[in-house]
Amino acid sequence: MRLAPAIFVALAAVLAGQPATQRFFADDPLAREPESQDASGALAADVGLFYDIAFDLFATSRRDSAGVRARNANTIDEVPDSSWFTNRILARPIPLDELARGPNTGPAPNPERWVFVREKSVGASPGFTATDASGETWFLTFDPPAHAEAATGAMVVASKFFWALGYNQVETFITTVDPRRLTIDPAATMRRPNGKKTPVRESDLDAIFERAARNADGTYRAAAGRMLKGKVLGPFRYEGTRPDDPNDVIDHEHRRELRALRVFGAWTNLTDLKSGNTIDTLVTVNGRSVVRHYLQDVGSTFGIGANGPHDWDEGFEYLYQGIASRKRLLTLGLALSPWQTADYPDYPSIGRFESDKFDPLTWKPHAPTTGYMEMQPDDAFWAARRVAAFDDASIRAMVHAGQYSDPAAEAYLATTMMRRRDKIARAYLGAVNPIVNPRLSAGGDLTFDNAAVAAGAGTAPAGYHSEWRQFDNRSGETRPLGVARGTGPLLNAPRPLPSNPGDFVEIDAWSDGTSPARLHFRRTADGWTLVGLDRRAAAPTTATPTAERRRQ
Amino acid sequence: MPLRRGIRSIAGAVAIVATTAAAPAAAQEQPPAAGRAAILEQAQTEKASALRPYEPDKVEDILNRVEKVLVRGMHLHPFFVSAYSGGGFTIGAGYLRHVSAYNTLDLRGSYTFSGYKRLEAEFVAPRLFNRRGAMTVTGGWREATQVGFYGLGTENTSANDRSNYAFDQPYGSATVDFWPARKLLLMRGGLELSTWNTAPGGGTAKSVDEVYTAATLPGLGAAPTYLHSAATIALDSRPAPGYARRGSFFGVTYHDFHDQGGQFGFNRLDYEATQHVPIFKETWVLSLHARTELAVGANGQAVPYFMLPALGGGSNLRGFPSWRFRDLNSLLLQAEWRVIGSRLVDMALFYDAGRVAARRQDLTSAPLKSDYGVGFRLHGRVATPLRIEIAHSNEGFRLVFSSKAPF
Repeated sequence: MRLAPAIFVALAAVLAGQPATQRFFADDPLAREPESQDASGALAADVGLFYDIAFDLFATSRRDSAGVRARNANTIDEVPDSSWFTNRILARPIPLDELARGPNTGPAPNPERWVFVREKSVGASPGFTATDASGETWFLTFDPPAHAEAATGAMVVASKFFWALGYNQVETFITTVDPRRLTIDPAATMRRPNGKKTPVRESDLDAIFERAARNADGTYRAAAGRMLKGKVLGPFRYEGTRPDDPNDVIDHEHRRELRALRVFGAWTNLTDLKSGNTIDTLVTVNGRSVVRHYLQDVGSTFGIGANGPHDWDEGFEYLYQGIASRKRLLTLGLALSPWQTADYPDYPSIGRFESDKFDPLTWKPHAPTTGYMEMQPDDAFWAARRVAAFDDASIRAMVHAGQYSDPAAEAYLATTMMRRRDKIARAYLGAVNPIVNPRLSAGGDLTFDNAAVAAGAGTAPAGYHSEWRQFDNRSGETRPLGVARGTGPLLNAPRPLPSNPGDFVEIDAWSDGTSPARLHFRRTADGWTLVGLDRRAAAPTTATPTAERRRQ
Repeated sequence: MPLRRGIRSIAGAVAIVATTAAAPAAAQEQPPAAGRAAILEQAQTEKASALRPYEPDKVEDILNRVEKVLVRGMHLHPFFVSAYSGGGFTIGAGYLRHVSAYNTLDLRGSYTFSGYKRLEAEFVAPRLFNRRGAMTVTGGWREATQVGFYGLGTENTSANDRSNYAFDQPYGSATVDFWPARKLLLMRGGLELSTWNTAPGGGTAKSVDEVYTAATLPGLGAAPTYLHSAATIALDSRPAPGYARRGSFFGVTYHDFHDQGGQFGFNRLDYEATQHVPIFKETWVLSLHARTELAVGANGQAVPYFMLPALGGGSNLRGFPSWRFRDLNSLLLQAEWRVIGSRLVDMALFYDAGRVAARRQDLTSAPLKSDYGVGFRLHGRVATPLRIEIAHSNEGFRLVFSSKAPF
């Protein structure tokens, strides 16, 4: 499944700044994707579960990656804010209480009484839609009987993490439902096996609660998801664009935030990545209808699924993985896979979640999405920086929001998240040039940070190299300015830099053992502004540094 | 595929816009008028003139239809249950429809290449007694044309002793399952009225009436009408009877076969135990199964040969043909070492042993007949729709195809 050549040309031109002539525009780097058109004509459409999983499992898993840069990455290798994504972690300091609050902006449900209004339409976990004592509508999900607090805790905690990572999330709270204070809306119906909808009866509620963990006082702990604003359009697809949304012009598989779910999913063990767990809504922004994209259900995380703990191999293998299956069968099970020797502590409220056997590079969801298959090293680096940006206190604060009654379980979940975070940083931050936050002073001093070193995922290199060029933004032509070396993250321009507003310099910078990152700065009245950062830059143009690298 | 065509056209528009937006600016050597956002906005404007609803391609459309069938159930469905064990490859179909919110009526029939036929209607009420019970009512007719009979006993019979008989049987039955606590404890009661019209067998083997007489083989040529009542009490902790990696089943069933003619009435007591033991994170599962059937004539009546407990076939002594061993009492012991390949595929090494005997004490007084083999299963969480096995016994190899788990 190869994309049309036209799309490569098109998308290269859009955000990353690679046209044949002018490279950078006045508004580079783009901070927000525009949504210029009215999308009120977008229609609700579903994605079949069987197709979703079967296609990804047997077709997408065999897909050859196009090997292209994320098309919505801007010219400085970041992702602009959009209806998909909002820069949060790394973009600004987030106080612990805000992290713990996550996407929740409104009041928690009022559990004094509940009214059943609708059965669950998707998902296998026990639950239903109900209005609380304040008349607000909530989607309620309960814990499996032998795993109290697990599913509800995972839903709430994961929503905090994915919100902080930048995704649109449903406001989700821990609440309680007392069946004695639960009534049935007379208009509520339930679809029966014969396909007809008939009024909901008490026995229907009994059947739901039978599958849920009951508290000692007869109540049930639930995760309550606030009903989203706007018109629900159904799940989004991980491939292509919505043909009915005029603002959706970048193929989803080439959106960096969707590719990065391979890393974020690995961190949180979000194994159920299917489209069915996403949702698009049509909302009004500034008087215009736009489609907003949510990761709606991130509850199959850590060690728990809809109806119990993850299967033993979840996170390690797809639902069906031919090679691993054949290997096990042909050796009568003696060829062990990593999950078989993993040690899962017995925390029923956490499920099967560990960090020792976890390998970010080989982590797998139930079935791979196209974004999963298309992820490039620079996407992974971008994602890993965000994962590494969560310090221990932040992780503890978000895990604490899960309201686990067992402090040991809460501590285990937090510790496991920290260890998995560190593994992700080690796996990805050194895999590409880890130079971040480059600054060029008016006097020509280039300073930057090393993301791998900052995250403790690598040691400081012995030195940095650079090639400097004057860059013509209109023609793309360059004129050498010289080379510079330094022992630390400070490189001095080899000669005076052009100083007219609108001038550009191009700098290839690298440390020993890494490929260059190509930086572009634009001269303004105030100094130099970063407008370009590409970790996939070609080899340096001058021979000397290359030869030096070879000698080293 | 329409989606891809749409993407190409939009991408082409974006490309054109992007390149043309930059070229004039370069030619005139003026600062670019268009910005990065403007390029995207232009692409969005272009797309706005060609919006259309999403249309699934053929693959998606087919898979969506498959899902609809799987979720809502098939009205027209395949039916692979033959009239009687040993009939060979079976083809069949049924038509199922809901007659109320949960209750179904299924009309179905099957045919085997050896001429076995089954036609029946089954009514299932799966939600009775506040979801604590289920009822199944079945009525139909079946015919088996060449059922094997190898004589009575274990050691004193041979595969070469095969003779065949035939029967046709109209039947009607009702069974009620009751789970007082909705799990674990199962109580089952059933009633069946049927007539076994036996007849000389077809096929390549001799007919049973050519080998035996009514004096040497009780029930030869008989056509008893039975009122069969049965009651079961069991503890069942398996996640699903059709596929389980853990849990157990321990049950006792008492049968009373009341012959309306007063000649061939008998009672039978069945004991059955199954235990699945997951090993090393379900890398392997040791599955053990034991079953004994103990029949005794009622009030001095005889148990007809075709109603005797039997062993042999694809779910018990898999290395022997169906109905290979028959007598008043049977004992079956099975062990499987299952290798869990994935969440969809298993294989198993198995060993079966068993014997039949006229006296209960003789069930364990002599070596058991045994077989071993290897099997491959496609399964889901609750069912095993395909089981292919090859089994070997001292009587040779046998290939097993089945659409259910062995136990």
